[in-house]
Amino acid sequence: MRAAMSADHSLPETHAPAEAPRILPSTQTGYASPNARQRRALLMRLLGTYGTIIVLASMLGIFSVLEPGTFATIGNFRNIVNDMAIGTIVAAGLTVPLVAGDFDLSIGYVASFCGLLVVGLLSSSGLPILPAIFLVVGLGTVIGIVNGIVVSKIGVNAFIATLGTGTIVVGLNYAYSGGIPLQLTQSREFTNIAIGRIAGVPHLVIIMAVVLALLWVILNRTVQGQHIKAIGVSPESARRAGVAVDRSRIVAFAIASTCAAIGGVLMASNLGSGQVTAGDSFMLTSFSAAFLGSAALREGQFHILGTLIGVLTVAVGNNGLAMIGAPIFTQFLFTGCLLVVAVALGGIGRRYARG
Amino acid sequence: MAQKMLLSLRRICRSFGGIQALDDVSLDIARGDILGLVGDNGAGKSTLIKILAGAHDPTSGDVILEGRPQKLSPPSEAQRLGIETVYQDLSLIGTFTAAENFFLGREIALGRGPALLRWIRRKSMGDIAMRGLEELHIEIPGVRSKPVDRMSGGQRQLVAIARGAFWGHKLLLLDEPTAALGVRESREVLDLIKRLGAQGLTIVMVTHNLDHLWQVCNRVVVMRRGRKVADLASSGTDMEDVVAYITGARQPATAQAEA
Ligand SMILES: Nc1ncnc2c1ncn2[C@@H]1O[C@H](COP(=O)(O)OP(=O)(O)OP(=O)(O)O)[C@@H](O)[C@H]1O
Ligand SMILES: [Mg+2]
Repeated sequence: MRAAMSADHSLPETHAPAEAPRILPSTQTGYASPNARQRRALLMRLLGTYGTIIVLASMLGIFSVLEPGTFATIGNFRNIVNDMAIGTIVAAGLTVPLVAGDFDLSIGYVASFCGLLVVGLLSSSGLPILPAIFLVVGLGTVIGIVNGIVVSKIGVNAFIATLGTGTIVVGLNYAYSGGIPLQLTQSREFTNIAIGRIAGVPHLVIIMAVVLALLWVILNRTVQGQHIKAIGVSPESARRAGVAVDRSRIVAFAIASTCAAIGGVLMASNLGSGQVTAGDSFMLTSFSAAFLGSAALREGQFHILGTLIGVLTVAVGNNGLAMIGAPIFTQFLFTGCLLVVAVALGGIGRRYARG
Repeated sequence: MAQKMLLSLRRICRSFGGIQALDDVSLDIARGDILGLVGDNGAGKSTLIKILAGAHDPTSGDVILEGRPQKLSPPSEAQRLGIETVYQDLSLIGTFTAAENFFLGREIALGRGPALLRWIRRKSMGDIAMRGLEELHIEIPGVRSKPVDRMSGGQRQLVAIARGAFWGHKLLLLDEPTAALGVRESREVLDLIKRLGAQGLTIVMVTHNLDHLWQVCNRVVVMRRGRKVADLASSGTDMEDVVAYITGARQPATAQAEA
């Protein structure tokens, strides 16, 4: 896979391929006539560009027909958006290293640990809320910087490196908690962060919007974002052009980990307790969302708006399945299938991007 | 010392382990030269280019820039001194527009400090890139809007060379600029190189195509097995001669006077 191959970031004199490695192998099936092949390529391009949106739209259609009274209601959509807010923050954060061509497998564990830690700090150390949150989110940033250094300066494959740091974070988690959930002894003030509303809009939705906007601006309007995009396409070309490749990768990991920490804190606030593994599942859902997002509007490139569409797709699917009364196992089947479909669609987008 | 010389290499050697890639090479590059660098595979052309680009340090020997000894590495130092390189594989970012590629690593931005806090000014970058290309009479649609991997190979090469010329006010290094281009596209690239030369830019160009060399270069330097075996004015030689030097059929005159 593309990001897994990014070990060649660190090889000094390689002639990096001008384009991103394809996710799909080139499967040339049969001997189609040029015309048929052209039509197929066009179809594939459309699939890679609009695939996710087609999936989302068909689910909206199907569930609305099946459950017009419960699914297709404003109240239900408000619930969907509120429930997906935390996951969106984590997934959007992950999108940044993905744009840079790097995987981060540690985000779920970082979210779990940070959620637990903030509850622990509030309950036992008597730290006020704001400093406790800053401390924990800061820790998330530090973990991300460590990830970035291990990957760029030491040259460990990002896939393995973040699996390693993620597992270390799990260790810290158990060392701190003993594997036992922590109860929040503090006032309602902390839980209000996630549960409260301003003018009827849930705090979570507002925070999600702010984080999304910030990440979008970073990627699309700052020099750093430009460099992150460039190294995701060709680290060697970027380096020759004078881009600080290592620093950009470190910043990307730091952003992902910071978002994971924010997600963890919000999750703890939402639950009112510190659960040892509550954030672990963010890893899979974030990857699904980001890959689905890469097949939305941009021909296989990761981007923030795409990830939002990806999270929405996962959330609508799960919500709809629950609404039609499908057993819980179908949600796992659905999420798993969606991940595979997402990676396939993103790959198709990239493979046929040039048409 | 003649200030006409832009850059001089004095007895440059460069080895990689046991391989002597450059062996006692001296070379004077005058302002306004368009110097064609030829030689067989493995002759040391790219190594020489990389020394000039600051990508390699010589094992021994001196580089003299405008009369003063100068260290060119790392590449950012060479760039700072006005030496730009267009590598064979172009070094463009495929998903970026020509304008974005023009300014990659040197973005026009509001604010100082870390890159995270510097606001990119796409409009200015687009305007300047457009103007830069117009001045070189390069007509490519979609400079601000079209990702370069949607452009033809020739258009991409034009963009890459124009970028080098835009930033490299002293010396432009081209490693096989017409390799993998069709006839018409090669001609466009060669025309651009000619125009840049006419504007007074100094250019060193590696090529395997002697036809192309003859169309643009005023000097030919032939490398063979790490040594410089010929340094000729294009007007004072012919293709047969050059081929003879490349293949080794003809040996350098002993104690050949340095140009
Ligand atoms: N980084 C390196 N490490 C080891 N050996 C190298 C390195 N770079 C070049 N060489 C060797 O130095 C010699 C000269 O190589 P160079 O790339 O300069 O040749 P060239 O003239 O550019 O050839 P070509 O026409 O094939 O591009 C070759 O024998 C090559 O194998
Ligand atoms: Mg070479």
